[in-house]
Amino acid sequence: MPDAADILRLESIKVHFPIQGGLFDRVLNRPAGAVRAVDGIDLNVRRGEIVALVGESGSGKTTVGRVITKLAQPTGGRLLFEGRDMTSVQGTSALRPYRHRVQMIFQDAYQALNPRHTVFDIVAEPLRSLRLVKNGTQLAERVSEALAAAGLNPPGDFVSRFPHELSGGQRQRVVIAGALAVRPELIVADEPVSMLDVSIRAQILQVLIDLRDKYNMALLFITHDLPLAWLIADRIAVLYLGRLVEIGSADEITFNPRHPYTIALRNATPQIGGNPCRAELPALQGEVPSAARVPKGCRFHPRCPLAFDRCRQEEPPTVEVGSRHMSACWLNER
Amino acid sequence: MSDRIVQYSPSGRAGAIKGFLSKFLGYGGAQLGLLCLVFFIVLAAVPNILVGPLETAGTATGDFLAPPSGQHLLGTDEVGRDVLNMVVHGARISLTIALLATVISLILGTTIGMTAGYYGGRVDVWLMRLTDFFFVMPSFVLALVITPVVLEVMGRGREILGFRPSLFVILVVIGMTSWAFVARVVRSQTLSLKERTFIDRARVAGSSNFSIMVRHILPNLVPQIAANGALVVAGAIYVETSLSFLGLGDPLQPSWGTLLSLAQRAGAASAGAWWYLGAPGLCALTVSLSFVLIGNALDDTFNPRRRVIP
Amino acid sequence: MTNSSQDKAPLLEIDRLSVDYGLKGVSLRAIDDVSFALRPGEAVGLVGESGSGKTTTAMAIAGLLSPNARVSSGVVRYRGNRLPIDDDAAMRPHRWSETSVVFQGAMNALNPVHRVMKQIAEPCVLKLGMSRSEATARARELLELVGIPADRGVAYPHELSGGMRQRVMIAMALACRPSIIIGDEPTTALDVITQAQILKLLGELRSQLNLALILITHDLSVVAESCDRVMIMYAGRIVEDGTVAEIFANPKHPYTRLLIDTIPNPANGKKIIRPIPGDPPNLISRPPGCAFHPRCPSAMGVCATEVPGLDKFGRARVACHLHRSSQEDKVAIHA
Repeated sequence: MPDAADILRLESIKVHFPIQGGLFDRVLNRPAGAVRAVDGIDLNVRRGEIVALVGESGSGKTTVGRVITKLAQPTGGRLLFEGRDMTSVQGTSALRPYRHRVQMIFQDAYQALNPRHTVFDIVAEPLRSLRLVKNGTQLAERVSEALAAAGLNPPGDFVSRFPHELSGGQRQRVVIAGALAVRPELIVADEPVSMLDVSIRAQILQVLIDLRDKYNMALLFITHDLPLAWLIADRIAVLYLGRLVEIGSADEITFNPRHPYTIALRNATPQIGGNPCRAELPALQGEVPSAARVPKGCRFHPRCPLAFDRCRQEEPPTVEVGSRHMSACWLNER
Repeated sequence: MSDRIVQYSPSGRAGAIKGFLSKFLGYGGAQLGLLCLVFFIVLAAVPNILVGPLETAGTATGDFLAPPSGQHLLGTDEVGRDVLNMVVHGARISLTIALLATVISLILGTTIGMTAGYYGGRVDVWLMRLTDFFFVMPSFVLALVITPVVLEVMGRGREILGFRPSLFVILVVIGMTSWAFVARVVRSQTLSLKERTFIDRARVAGSSNFSIMVRHILPNLVPQIAANGALVVAGAIYVETSLSFLGLGDPLQPSWGTLLSLAQRAGAASAGAWWYLGAPGLCALTVSLSFVLIGNALDDTFNPRRRVIP
Repeated sequence: MTNSSQDKAPLLEIDRLSVDYGLKGVSLRAIDDVSFALRPGEAVGLVGESGSGKTTTAMAIAGLLSPNARVSSGVVRYRGNRLPIDDDAAMRPHRWSETSVVFQGAMNALNPVHRVMKQIAEPCVLKLGMSRSEATARARELLELVGIPADRGVAYPHELSGGMRQRVMIAMALACRPSIIIGDEPTTALDVITQAQILKLLGELRSQLNLALILITHDLSVVAESCDRVMIMYAGRIVEDGTVAEIFANPKHPYTRLLIDTIPNPANGKKIIRPIPGDPPNLISRPPGCAFHPRCPSAMGVCATEVPGLDKFGRARVACHLHRSSQEDKVAIHA
């Protein structure tokens, strides 16, 4: 469904990493196979929209984020930004206009900050690299503006500090300030609160939501936590083993999930007030298989308590099951 | 998310340097090494004030191979020159050669190691093969090959950067044979640094590869370069001494190695002139050892930090 | 389970325990005046943020404090006998046979060069004096107990998934038939579905073997589904203690209330984010009085000067000036 307001569109994006085979395979020039980290994902993000990408480790959610931020090159499919094909654009200067509009926030703020740079240098880096300021005064203005928007007030107290002199929450705010200093239109946030103390999480979420409300920024929020996704996002996309299994509005996915995997994820999430949707489904056995050995048919069938013959043979298509609610499961056909 | 103890940190770069110095000087080895080094640097800096100009056979004042006495504290050589005078002047030559060679080695090694580690793939393979080549190249053979070429190109008797041609050859040879070690260390560190999230962040921020290497990777390599640099100096002094001992030095600008070589040829060992062999030998040994001690202390100082930021 | 366990004598009693860390010549209090009792078969959640002292409390009970830690006051009693918690050698017979610990990072705690079967059998040989073959039989039994087919025991740790490794850790902890298991964030590194499996396993083992469980976590919702009682820690002190139902339905301490509010809860349908202002305190700069008062929306004058005691309210305990039992204080709040 092409939409005029789409800021970002992924069309059957694939990221396959070749596996280095043994000596025998190499001599015979036999391909050793591939890790199918992302295996055909369609996703769109509208201007000012918050989309949550939910999945377990190994679902490919982080790789999708890296494709969008041009840190990983897709092996198939197209990446469209405002209708322009960005898939094969590479190189520092060619990517400058794109980087100006798409930024990223990382999970581990401690790792994401160079221990030898001051807060000022960190926040100023994209402004300098993308040539967005003319002089030092302008640079200083933009840096303090970004720090203030990320909730580091007054900015003057922080500019000359080093990352190890900040608390965990402040470090994540510095990462956010660095991303929003260039006033991007889309921010990819990869598990931005999972390393933070519980009482700090809400502060950071508030900052992110304010960005959307104030600057109409779009946000792709990558997380493993369904209730958190429900809290922050307009739409939720659920990933399993490199594929989207279900996508829909946050309320639809939370209260009316259609895919057995989404239901299992909901049921497994510990919840204080009990689960609003205890759809009857036995607990899942086993763990996510390796992306190097993707099961035939529906990739969820070996763990799915509701699997039947067709699931073992054919991969289910993604079909509309409600208003803007898509799911890839053979049960939808019944 | 277990209980963490927040570290004290005096604010800013000055605090970091202060913290580093107090930790570094806390090691006994560092104190000893620095003390010895300061002593020899003073010798090398003002030899003329301390012992007068370098004596030659013409200006020699003492007896032949006289043992240490009040007038000649370290005795004299086979033409009556004061050994103390020559050792102090030798300090200047030996230390300058070693330090300049180390600078060459660090610049080459860091550039090549960082480029190989950062770009990976084919660049890495070729640069590392080149590194391997220089890694196994014996410095003596290289010196023998290069010396005639340099002499031919520059002509005898001319000076380059204040060095006579044969000393310049030694300088270049040491620089060229010791960078491979630095390159290997820098490459492995770069490999782990480039996987760090702040490199990803710099790429998303639009920084070029060059800027990432210079602004993000290089500053984080400083601990390794400093610690290994000290070891390279120690090695350079050793190589310089042995090359000069083998006769590649210049008698007009005698380093400790040259002195050892002269002593050997004068039959100092069989004549029992221990002062003639012992003085330059002990100096070379002490300076190498102090650089090793400083290098180890630097490594120990930086290591906990490397553990904190894995 | 809660009711029956209330009647039994406590298995473990922690009485006014304080632990200090020596850091660069300064002594920092990690936990301060912590008291609680654990009954046989009871599951207690110890919840707090980083620096709250939850891990220190658990490590003190297991006698696994780091060398720079010092027990400055208080005692820990196991079945009425005082434990030598600051003496590593004297604790050895007690540890693993009475109290076991399951750590967070299973990969670090397992030796990568030995098969998991051997690693499970090891404590049986060393602690219980079993022969090799007896120990191997016991290891197979333990693997089946934690839901791993015994034949998988020949695997090396890296050949197992994160959830399987955590099961192996649990099997090792159970090897000497302890009566208390301490889980130090045992599911934090795991995926949601695996976490649910491990928590379910711990619950089953608990009723099967009548184990008492101390579950350390930063995640209140984990506690909600797997514990009988919760203790909330803040800046080294217990601020609230009560049954799971009580605490989630009617939290008394403002910190507990705010903490519960920060957890997204689709069940109440309200997408409201209520941040707790400020940063968690660190050991160096602990605020005077009630440590939470700088962040507390209901702080009063007395909160900044006086440390509130952990007062009893029926079976629950709360350390907050808002809930002092005397009547004048209550009047003062509402005035």
